[in-house]
Amino acid sequence: MKSGDLTTSNVPQELSAVSKGKAPLLPVTAAPARPGGWRKGIAIFDFIIRLCAMAAALAAAAAMGTSDQTLPFFTQFFQFQASYDDLPTFQFFVIAMGIVAGYLLLSLPFSIVTIVRPFAVGPRVLLLIFDTVALTLTTAAGAAAAAIVYLAHNGNQNTNWLAICQQFGDFCQKVSGAVVASFIAVVLFVFLVVLSAMALRRT
Amino acid sequence: MKGSAAVELAEATRAPSAGINRGISILDLILRIVALVCTLGSAIAMGTTNETLPFFTQFIRFRAEYNDLPTFTFFVAANAVVSGYLLLSLPISIFHIMRSGAQNSRILLIILDTSMLALLTAGASASAAIVYLAHNGNAKANWLSICQQFNSFCERISGSLIGSFGAVTVFILLILLSGMALSRR
Repeated sequence: MKSGDLTTSNVPQELSAVSKGKAPLLPVTAAPARPGGWRKGIAIFDFIIRLCAMAAALAAAAAMGTSDQTLPFFTQFFQFQASYDDLPTFQFFVIAMGIVAGYLLLSLPFSIVTIVRPFAVGPRVLLLIFDTVALTLTTAAGAAAAAIVYLAHNGNQNTNWLAICQQFGDFCQKVSGAVVASFIAVVLFVFLVVLSAMALRRT
Repeated sequence: MKGSAAVELAEATRAPSAGINRGISILDLILRIVALVCTLGSAIAMGTTNETLPFFTQFIRFRAEYNDLPTFTFFVAANAVVSGYLLLSLPISIFHIMRSGAQNSRILLIILDTSMLALLTAGASASAAIVYLAHNGNAKANWLSICQQFNSFCERISGSLIGSFGAVTVFILLILLSGMALSRR
């Protein structure tokens, strides 16, 4: 109790001494205290964009994962159900967007660390590396699903692949929406990589 | 007193760090040339696909080209754009070898590299999805696999994906190298 009183009573004295210019500052590290102004702004912007990208990735995975559709009529031989399971590319899409959303969730603490310590290089380089890899994964999943969605909408005469969207309208809409959400996530990832690079500057 | 010690420390470490930066820039140039060769090879390999089966009837098509599928057209276009960009970015990379401390041009290169990485990955993975479909088909959607008829066309389009995905890996390394060169003090 007594030592606690001493420490709490010392602090205002030190501060007032510092403000009068008599006492030394806190122990000097290798660099004097610098304003982290624009780096901190970039880090906060990075955090906000990371949240938006996580929302987009989750939305894409959820929209594709819940895209089942069953047509109201049936015969004995034909399939009138469409689900993302039917196409391996869409399975890859759901898994990849899930991984990317999980990675973004786990990278939020690192982003907070770069806000609190604007001059730390380690977390920023780590985020740059993993953001680049996640950008590649998201783009791969989105583009592959987009190729299949394009085929589902238009078919291909030369290979005799028929468009399935005319029968499965709801399925096609949900799947197209998921692809659009993943491309939004791609654009946000490009911003994240560029922000990390700008914040790594020396000056 | 403390300030001068910090300046001396910075000067002592500047010479080897500049050497490492120069090494990073040389590696950057080499990787850029490798990626240029890969994307150019992929574009040419996909663009010169043309297979005609030796038999024909009046109504059925027995010829396969890359522009029968719009995705492959996008693949060729994307690879061509990226290889053109890599050719134009070689002078900037050489400039970085001479001036290792340049920052603004490195950031410009990172921005452009990231955009080209996204474009290249999009082209490569969309084509990969179509190549997978060409090999295996899809029973649920009634899409037949075409590789059983068009063997050499299939082999060519599958092989051209390798160069493109290799270039994707090289681009990731390029971005990381630029980031490391930027962050070294």
